[in-house]
Amino acid sequence: MLEVTHLHFDYGGVRVLEDIGAGVDKGLVLSVVGPNGAGKTTLLKCIVRILQPTAGSVRIDDRETRRMSRRELARHLGYVPQNTPARFSATVFETVLSGRRPYIAWRPSRTDLERTAGVIEEMNLADLAMRDMDRLSGGQAQKVLLARALAQDAHYLLLDEPTSSLDLRHQLEMLEIIAALVKDKRMGAVMAMHDLNLAARFSDVILMLHQGRTFRWGTPLEVITPENIREVYGVEAAVRRENGYLHIQPLRCADPPASGKSPGPPQPNPGGSRS
Amino acid sequence: MNSDTVEVIRTLDAEDRVVGVFSEIVREPEFWGALADRPKVGSWRDPDVEAIAALKPDLVIAYTRNPGPILERKMAPFGIQVLRLDLYKVAALEREVLVLGRLLERDKEAARFCAWHHQRLGAIQERIAQTDRRPSVYMESYTDYHAVGPSSGGHEMCVLAGGRNIAAVLAIPYPRVTAEWVVSQNPEVIVKPAVYGNGYSLKDAAPFNKRREALLGRPVWGHIAAVTSGNVHVLDSSIWTGPRAIIGIAYLARWFHSKLFSDLDPEALHKEYLETFQGVAYHGVFVSDYPGGAGR
Amino acid sequence: MSATAETLYRRYKARAGVKTLVLVLAVFLLAVGMVVGLCVGASGMGLGQVLASLLKDTGRDHGIVWLIRLPRIIMAALVGFGLGLAGSVFQAVLRNPLASPFTLGVGSAAGFGAVSVILFMGGGFQTYRVAAGAFLLTLLSAALILAVARMKSASSETMILTGIAQMFLFSSLTSLFQYMGTMEQVHEVVFWFFGSLSKAGWPEIGLTAIMILVPFPFLLSRAWDFNLLASGDDSALALGVNVKRLRMTSVVAASLVTAGGICFTGVIGFVGLVAPHITRMVIGNDHQFLLPVSGLVGALLVVVADTLGRSIWAPQVIPIGIVTSFVGVPFFFYLLMKRSKEYW
Repeated sequence: MLEVTHLHFDYGGVRVLEDIGAGVDKGLVLSVVGPNGAGKTTLLKCIVRILQPTAGSVRIDDRETRRMSRRELARHLGYVPQNTPARFSATVFETVLSGRRPYIAWRPSRTDLERTAGVIEEMNLADLAMRDMDRLSGGQAQKVLLARALAQDAHYLLLDEPTSSLDLRHQLEMLEIIAALVKDKRMGAVMAMHDLNLAARFSDVILMLHQGRTFRWGTPLEVITPENIREVYGVEAAVRRENGYLHIQPLRCADPPASGKSPGPPQPNPGGSRS
Repeated sequence: MNSDTVEVIRTLDAEDRVVGVFSEIVREPEFWGALADRPKVGSWRDPDVEAIAALKPDLVIAYTRNPGPILERKMAPFGIQVLRLDLYKVAALEREVLVLGRLLERDKEAARFCAWHHQRLGAIQERIAQTDRRPSVYMESYTDYHAVGPSSGGHEMCVLAGGRNIAAVLAIPYPRVTAEWVVSQNPEVIVKPAVYGNGYSLKDAAPFNKRREALLGRPVWGHIAAVTSGNVHVLDSSIWTGPRAIIGIAYLARWFHSKLFSDLDPEALHKEYLETFQGVAYHGVFVSDYPGGAGR
Repeated sequence: MSATAETLYRRYKARAGVKTLVLVLAVFLLAVGMVVGLCVGASGMGLGQVLASLLKDTGRDHGIVWLIRLPRIIMAALVGFGLGLAGSVFQAVLRNPLASPFTLGVGSAAGFGAVSVILFMGGGFQTYRVAAGAFLLTLLSAALILAVARMKSASSETMILTGIAQMFLFSSLTSLFQYMGTMEQVHEVVFWFFGSLSKAGWPEIGLTAIMILVPFPFLLSRAWDFNLLASGDDSALALGVNVKRLRMTSVVAASLVTAGGICFTGVIGFVGLVAPHITRMVIGNDHQFLLPVSGLVGALLVVVADTLGRSIWAPQVIPIGIVTSFVGVPFFFYLLMKRSKEYW
């Protein structure tokens, strides 16, 4: 299980994340939602140690990640960032191969190459394997980054807005692949999502952040309510169940709260997981 | 604005007219004496316009090319005239000295110097004309592996001393060459001036000898005629292009045509110049030792 | 492995094989270039004479080949290799295709070191002192960059900005010293900045070889990490690379290589910028190959440039730094035209 407890992160004298607690088991998907600036990306980066948390702990199967070397951590956590064009392009194969870095000593071994080939095939990227990354569409490139994380043979995936620059079809495709991976390979996934509909549909657990703090934590049904949406996003919305999924329809911008202070206390931190 | 000019002015006995001098004069206090204490006005390349203006001179004398016309433009608002003299090309030296003499009302002194200079130079030229032999010479400039080309002062000196500059066929004043080229040209004499050797204050030829050793040690140079015969010389920059080029030429003539000029004593010539025209005693060392050669 | 995966594996291996071939080709071309360069010289010795003098001690010709031509060509290749190698490392570590060994101010610092010696320690004919001055200042400038990286952040932007600041600092100091110098000293300095291979003797080659070839294995061992840097600091960190340490150690190593290359020869520009790009156009961005082949291409460029500089205006020598700049400028424009979208 991947667990975060009492995580704080300060930057430039500003408390960006305060007392965050969350966790995900293998076989489940956790989505972190919240408006821009709520701290979703920051949280992910803290878990992967791109940023150093100011306080708190991240544990994988009860082992403190602080005690692990970067290399070791990379064998457990597969980070999938948003696709940004690289200055120097590499081929798809090379990009996925770089996911083997936690295992490569001097140069890639035969095992590394075979594993890379295997992942590329699984993700149906074989036709694109020798193409340069900058010749791919946004959707294809995002898939390659996911493949790279898979090549790490990690148990947990951390995805930063995996659907933001994708078109409708690729959004669905991406999330379906992730869902399948999580179920079939018993992986755990933590996704930062800005689209509530997709988050609601594809997650088992939702963590809603508001101004760097945990606002709500629970199943999509529990967390995604018009009240919460109004409070955190400042939007009046209607939430319905349709076709077996939650459907969120934004109606209009909400009036700002009268006193300026947010009503309702934030939920206390969950200690255990949802099993 | 430069040492050549100040030297000529001293020859003309007009030191009292000097109100400002080039800043680098402080490097050779022994030679310049009281002149080194005069107010400083920057370098030949970069004159300190403010300092010059403050001194309110009637005339500023600078090289023809450096600094550029900006100097005239800067001096014009103050009503200060600029005179351009080179004084480092032997061919033009006498003429320029006469011009300066006229301006400073020292025609007599100017004429005296020119007569002396003309006579001495002429004597050397006459004797050179007696022979067709022109030994091949490699003359290097201050920077290593840069020869002196046809339009430079060094080349002029070489010709006047009866030598053939192997770099005469090259196009620019300071062309870069390779060791291989010098070796294959196999010159009979090698000459190099030393930067600010400050010869006037030296007690022995050590600095020049050191540079000479460096020359001798260059790769494959042991095969060059000049090196095997020891006819390799380093001389002080003060006798290399400038009003004292005649002294340098005298040394060169001895090295190029040792038999022809066996009675020529460049040291004596130098002494004569310094005592008669500069009013300072002769001392110092100005050339490297010439082991196995006919003395200095 | 399944059939598809097997095919992918084979294809990747085949490409790697092609890149290895390119490397071999580069070595071959360099050898050819060096032989041609060896046969060009003011004394007019051709290939036959050179070969004859190589082994038999025939006096002057033997000396010319062993003490003048051979050291010059070998030094040219060595320095070119160092610059090409350092260039590819700097481009990877600063994640900038316009980076060169001189981006971080190395050239200006070295120049300042050389100028200081020329002015205050007796002049340009003291080759070793000038070289030491250039070398020490280069290390100082690398140390400055590292200090700032430690205090602030080790991002490529910070380093580049520090480097630019350093470049201006040392250039100004150099100009100041030049201003204070005599005409002869100014000449010396200017000629140092042109670059020169005439000071190459066997002892100098030995020293330069140590300074360039010792850091080389270290840099090569980091090749995969350089590959990872290309996708961004975040990705690299997440994949287990200690980005800060990598950047700092690589900058030190590459600066050492650069310093070693130029302390005896002066600044030779453009090679470090152009060689990696030429290499990239042929074999792409895999640093396992990019590093050594950039070095080889750099070596070839300098050897060819030197040979040209000695032939075009014989027997005069056009300083090497000038020739390489001439080569670099049209290439720069070509890059600009062809790949305009990527750099802006």
